[in-house]
Amino acid sequence: MKPKSNQAAVGSVQCDNTTMNLLKVNDFVAKAIRDRLPGILVVNICSSPGSGKTTLLQETGKRLKDRLNMAVLVGDPETERDAIRMRDVGINALQIVTGGMCHIEAQMIYQALDHLDLTGVDVLIIENVGNLVCPAAFDLGEDYRVTVLASTEGDDKPRKYPRMFLTSELLLVSKADLLPYVPFSVEAVTEDARAVNADIEVITLSSLKGEGMDAWCAWLEEKVQEKKASLIPA
Amino acid sequence: MHEISLVRNVFRTLEEEFPNDIDKVRTIRLKVGLLSNVQPILMQNAFQAVLEDEPRYRKTSLEVEVLPILIYCDVCDKTTEVHNYRFACSCGKPSRQVVQGEELLISTIDFD
Repeated sequence: MKPKSNQAAVGSVQCDNTTMNLLKVNDFVAKAIRDRLPGILVVNICSSPGSGKTTLLQETGKRLKDRLNMAVLVGDPETERDAIRMRDVGINALQIVTGGMCHIEAQMIYQALDHLDLTGVDVLIIENVGNLVCPAAFDLGEDYRVTVLASTEGDDKPRKYPRMFLTSELLLVSKADLLPYVPFSVEAVTEDARAVNADIEVITLSSLKGEGMDAWCAWLEEKVQEKKASLIPA
Repeated sequence: MHEISLVRNVFRTLEEEFPNDIDKVRTIRLKVGLLSNVQPILMQNAFQAVLEDEPRYRKTSLEVEVLPILIYCDVCDKTTEVHNYRFACSCGKPSRQVVQGEELLISTIDFD
């Protein structure tokens, strides 16, 4: 920006892209989060409401409790219900109430970190607000973004919500136990997701029945190891 | 909701950059990439709604320009527009190198 407070602005002012980027504050805080959590894997989990994110994390926590130290920040427009559900199964969890907002912003994570005991934590999972649109634009300082899509939501979502799938490294097709009963093709959703993002990995799972949970937990453990290894200077 | 917070962000940014000239702002032009998920009509509605609480901006109008998505292909050394969210070059190679389409920028501001 050229004109500053001591100069009177007149006429038309062309704005510099870096200083007038409306997401710049968020991106700045996201970087601060990365700097604050060296060696801790941060995973941002996004999906529509009701895709089974909380159930997935409850089951993940139970399976990995002896192998990984996991902490969860869970965002919802209202209530503390999801954090309570996580704590019920022994997961170190803190609720972020967004007060009606449709997404989590980096500032909310940064502030929440002050209230979460991160001693010995290997992986911090952020359960975003259920919404396939807005959260896609907000970097929360994560290493990986994972999108959960339930078989009951339909296999046409990647092309409808492209930015979410474009910015995710992993797609989890959840509620796989319902696949025999719903018109959902894992092949079709994979093809659609890869039209948007050729590199996206796909794991099909059922949190309740256990199918695919080993593959998901193995993915998570592998990324934790990679993150720890990144701390050791080459 | 998202648009409301964006409009407030626009005002906050202007107040930081031009603290003494807010009363003279007449037109704010935004550039939004197609991937930003910002709908121009919703942005206008949010703008009108926020003006209710911000009398200083009553003489200000908002223009929103949507930018198409462009990706870069390593193989062809070429930029291609993305249609129907198919992120591949005309040569067929997929690409996630978005060179345009994620913008959320204030492009120009007109002052009295």
